[in-house]
Amino acid sequence: MATNPMHQFKVHRIGPEIEISGVDLSFTNASLFMLISAALLALLLLLGTREKKLIPNKAQLLSEMLYNFIAKMISDTAGKKAKPYFPFIFSLFIFILFCNMVGMLPYSFTVTSHIIVTLTFAIFIFIGVTILGFIMHGFKYLKIFVPSGVPIVLLPIISIIEIISYLSRPISLSVRLFANMMAGHTMLKVFGGFVISLGLIGGWLPLTFSVALTGLEILVAFLQAYVFAILTCIYLNDALNLHH
Amino acid sequence: MSDLEDIKTRLKIAKSKLASKNNIRDNKGKGNYLGNAFKLGTELVAAVIVGTIIGFILDSWFDTKPILIILFFLFGAAAGIINVFRAAKRMQKEED
Repeated sequence: MATNPMHQFKVHRIGPEIEISGVDLSFTNASLFMLISAALLALLLLLGTREKKLIPNKAQLLSEMLYNFIAKMISDTAGKKAKPYFPFIFSLFIFILFCNMVGMLPYSFTVTSHIIVTLTFAIFIFIGVTILGFIMHGFKYLKIFVPSGVPIVLLPIISIIEIISYLSRPISLSVRLFANMMAGHTMLKVFGGFVISLGLIGGWLPLTFSVALTGLEILVAFLQAYVFAILTCIYLNDALNLHH
Repeated sequence: MSDLEDIKTRLKIAKSKLASKNNIRDNKGKGNYLGNAFKLGTELVAAVIVGTIIGFILDSWFDTKPILIILFFLFGAAAGIINVFRAAKRMQKEED
């Protein structure tokens, strides 16, 4: 059982079973690790912003770097109009980042390797951005389904394709994060299993691989959080600045 | 006051270091390319999946199996290619 690479993704209940009108709301290991990541990031940011020194300590430096990183990303991709949405994108990025990074610790659980978590994020963003687009532009927002300069004969087909392309956003957003995290962690566990089964003589090669893969996974964990945030910015940009 | 002086000299040193580092900064983009590669794959697949699901739902509404599912699969593939095309264009713009 210990060598089963998929065992790490199992969600199990911690504590008593809570059921409200037929919906299972028990506290699971997934909820525990979400709480842990949220607590860690709150701790970092609270420590970082507690004393605002001219010469920053490590926590302050880290939180200022994160702030600058996201602020620059938003102004680069979505322009000045997106400034009010900074808190949302910042919390989204940092939460996904911490979930991914906490998942890299041994014996932990990777929340973002479950499609239901990432799909919830993505659908929330999708619905939010769509509502925002309609608030900002009214029914003119439907223009994004009608690209300019298309002959009238082709218009129905192009519109259908554009609508499908729009609807595919939450799917691609969520599947990307989930698939990367899950594939990476499965691979790590598979190589870990090789180390055990090949023993003291042959186990060194997979051990080297799994050290290298751990480094790669940390890069991917950061990168996927970044890609998630930057695509949210791009979708936000489409909703705020209508042009096609 | 000595704090400020200290910072001034530190800033100067850091700035000169940055200036010399800018020339050998090409390595930094590599992680970004990896992210871009991940982006394109899912972009294509997601649209095909969405198109097929729409076709499937419409088929069971209008009882026209299997015409619409085929049609919308093709629409989905077209949408996927458009998605990839747009993503690639955006990457190119970032590059410049």
